[in-house]
Amino acid sequence: MAISRVLVANRGEIALRVIKACRALGIESVLAVSAADRESLPAKEADRVVCIGPARAADSYLKVEALIAAALGTGSDAIHPGYGFLAERPELARACEQNKVQFIGPRPESILKMGNKLLAREIVRGYGIPIIPGSEKVHSFQEGLQIAKEIGLPILIKAAAGGGGRGIKIVTENGELQGAFETAAAEARAAFGDETLYIERYIPNARHIEVQVLGDRFGNVIHAGERDCSLQRRHQKVIEEAPAYSISDALREEIRAAGVIIAKNMKYENAGTVEFILDQDQERFYFLEMNTRIQVEHPVTEAITGIDLVQEQIRIANGHALTLSQSQVQFSGHAIECRITAESAKDGFRPCPGQITRWQPSSGADMRVDSHGYAGYTVPPFYDSLLAKLIVRGENRVKTVARMQEALASFVVSGIETTIPFLRLLVCQLDYIKGNVNTKWLEKFLATSSLLELGAE
Amino acid sequence: MDLTEDDVLEILNLIEKSSFDFLQLQMGDLKLVVSKGGYMGSAPVAVFSDPQPAAGPAVASEPAPKAREAEVKTQAEQPQPKAKAVVRDGTVPINAPMVGTFYITPEPGAPPFVEVGGNIDEDTTVGLIEVMKVFNAIRSGVRGVVEEICIQGGQFVEYGQTIMLVKPKGKG
Repeated sequence: MAISRVLVANRGEIALRVIKACRALGIESVLAVSAADRESLPAKEADRVVCIGPARAADSYLKVEALIAAALGTGSDAIHPGYGFLAERPELARACEQNKVQFIGPRPESILKMGNKLLAREIVRGYGIPIIPGSEKVHSFQEGLQIAKEIGLPILIKAAAGGGGRGIKIVTENGELQGAFETAAAEARAAFGDETLYIERYIPNARHIEVQVLGDRFGNVIHAGERDCSLQRRHQKVIEEAPAYSISDALREEIRAAGVIIAKNMKYENAGTVEFILDQDQERFYFLEMNTRIQVEHPVTEAITGIDLVQEQIRIANGHALTLSQSQVQFSGHAIECRITAESAKDGFRPCPGQITRWQPSSGADMRVDSHGYAGYTVPPFYDSLLAKLIVRGENRVKTVARMQEALASFVVSGIETTIPFLRLLVCQLDYIKGNVNTKWLEKFLATSSLLELGAE
Repeated sequence: MDLTEDDVLEILNLIEKSSFDFLQLQMGDLKLVVSKGGYMGSAPVAVFSDPQPAAGPAVASEPAPKAREAEVKTQAEQPQPKAKAVVRDGTVPINAPMVGTFYITPEPGAPPFVEVGGNIDEDTTVGLIEVMKVFNAIRSGVRGVVEEICIQGGQFVEYGQTIMLVKPKGKG
């Protein structure tokens, strides 16, 4: 069955991105919106709009029944979930299967397997890919001591029920172990009512590197290179780049091959991303997790390979074989993406919903803006604060950074605060320009610099 | 002469040791702003902008003609939202509380739950909405006389779409 109409089960820039991909393929798009998004830019661009529920995401974008009803009611033969919301919930993929609607993404089993972090670790270990040395649950200090001996210091102790950094302790010397273990257990008990802990090798100087993979239903799997997403704030990526810089070509090939091995062994279908932690001091990498969806930062890969990943997702879901073989994937130049959010950096990244009065995105050769913003648009308070992705490409990294500085300088948004002033500051930091960063760098930078001088537009 | 990436990195290494907070480098056609220690220069973005104030100072300035044109165009391209919720004086709408398929009868061939001119109260079931094989009874929520039924049985309804209009009546 050929896909002729796609229900877009998302909002914001990614909804617009999917609508454009459908249009390019001659496929109709139906956008599912909440009552808060009826006036959004994707709603204006879609061939048809269906309101699926009230503003609250739990009653609209997260409601599997409403999306299936909307797909069936509009005669849509496929659903694209975008990222976030239901993209990695096996329930939607399964409901699609049961209702004979094509889910544009992997099979439900793949989502289920990679969604369970412990199971994913086991599966990937079975494929011979390194995982961060560590433990399953640890219940006593004696048990912890034994594990610490096995994996070696430094280690990270964290609450099994964890989140938000509570109950996390880093131990670099043997003498600290007992105290750290006991405080972590106490904090975990207080915060989560469960004192079970995990212990794993701590990597002080790490980079986040992820491999873009594509698989079709005939078992073909290719990679489209890797991305470096080491600049993160509270585990949210802020700047992403492709290809990863400051790694040797040998290591790069190893990481790419590891991504392909995982996807191939799982018989992975559609677009996915395998995330790794790179230990910069040891030059070793470890599997972190796999994201079974299109990622926010996919445009940097598109910029250096020329592949349209969203169109490729639709073709794969339609039963076609991959457009390119591995040897046909060519890499050219460097690309950087900045995530522009409706937040006030100088005010602790407070979300800033409200009406945009002036909207002047960067434009020029090798610049791309993926955004649902426009002058007059009111950013609703109900959802994620991502407002735009600014992507630039250049022949090498330094030239791309210079291009990003130029692009950010010309991007004007008024009416609400955005992270543009903060990003301008970030991309001219000497450490950043030299590529001398790790996953802790941005948090350290934020702790030591004064953002109060950042003006609003 | 065009500098290679390695040349630029070499220059950055040399200046790293010197004391500066903020500087602008121009190397051939490559313009780079460099800052150390999180310090933002007075108006570093000005280096790149054309004579029109593009960044910080733009608050007070008028939008460039091109930008204004773009704004107007964007607004002109916005179609009016389709009115799915019907508003009519003297009536109260009953709107679909969920997306799905609306049915006016409890089963095919059976008499409808309500008809135009019929009396209903707040708890009257006015129809069913089917969502993934689950039938949900739609409660009227209003007391009065059915003025108009806007949706035919078996038709797909969106969240918030008006199913029927009711002329309200007081208690008694």
